[in-house]
Amino acid sequence: MTAVTGAEEPELAHPVTGLDEVVHQRVRLGILTITHEARRVEFGYLRSQLELTAGNLSKHLSVLEEAGLIGVEKGYEGRRGRTWITLTPAGVTALNEEIGRLKQLIARVETTDG
Amino acid sequence: MLAQIGLLWKPIGMTANSLPAAGDPRRLLSDMRTLSQRVRADQRMTWVALLVLAAATFAAIPFDWFGMDVTCLPDGGCQFARDGMLYYWIPAMPLMYAAIAFLYLRAARARGLGGRVLPYAITGAVTTLVFPAAWLAVTTYFSNHPYPDQPLPYWWFVLDRLVMPWGMIGVTLLVLAWLERNVALLAFTVGYLALVLLVLPMNYGFSSGFFSIRAAMAVPQLIVGVVLLLAAFGFRAAGRRRR
Repeated sequence: MTAVTGAEEPELAHPVTGLDEVVHQRVRLGILTITHEARRVEFGYLRSQLELTAGNLSKHLSVLEEAGLIGVEKGYEGRRGRTWITLTPAGVTALNEEIGRLKQLIARVETTDG
Repeated sequence: MLAQIGLLWKPIGMTANSLPAAGDPRRLLSDMRTLSQRVRADQRMTWVALLVLAAATFAAIPFDWFGMDVTCLPDGGCQFARDGMLYYWIPAMPLMYAAIAFLYLRAARARGLGGRVLPYAITGAVTTLVFPAAWLAVTTYFSNHPYPDQPLPYWWFVLDRLVMPWGMIGVTLLVLAWLERNVALLAFTVGYLALVLLVLPMNYGFSSGFFSIRAAMAVPQLIVGVVLLLAAFGFRAAGRRRR
């Protein structure tokens, strides 16, 4: 996983240095959040909730799948094809770490402002 | 500082504007919470659960009525045993919870979501065991000990009502409210439990001379069934308005 770093490296690790580029992206964070909450989510539900085109959502899902954060299962219900997305254990960990870092960032900002 | 963080939130490699393009991590966490709440709201089928519970409560009344063993003594006093209720609720409880879990999962799947019914199913299974176990414990105790002459303390009646099926329904609704993060259901359940545990005489009926024993036992069940049914209609109407 790639870390996004700032221009200058502070002496103590800033929460930003631990951010995962794959997860630290608004749409992908939305996908992980919804999938975590739903346990299992259908492609169409994600598309409507995140207001994305099918192509754009597919690209983001591919990134997450390649990183091993989600599992994609394709099947049929009647004649209709359906794609279900689940979070892998690595995905759960990555999401929790991201939330933790965001909270650290908020704490950092509040400390700096104070 | 915020501007610097904000730069990190530019989409990398592809455009993506589904979440507000704010760099503030506080806003991002808030957006994540909103998405989670939306999913939970879409998974809800509260009215179905209440409808099934109401139907099970109504169906119990004839079992209790005809299955009740009543023996009236020459001094005017009557003894009764509600065997029909026991035989009805033991199989009805797991069937009722299984039906609710099935309907929840089916509805969630139709909406493109998974469901979280495992904690609910576990609670249903536990409450299913608690009622016959408590009944067995009380029956066994009083078969070896004399029934007390003095009136039983109030807490005894409350505890007795809690382990009865209607009290167990309240406990299960509490779990459902927690699973759904459903404040409205929580408020309803608190009122329901107050009604069942503190107001309605679920375990000895309305012991007025006006009612026969069977009718005295049926009335509280009828009230509980109507309350659950009205709540089901209310939650369904509220759900439709939300959508």
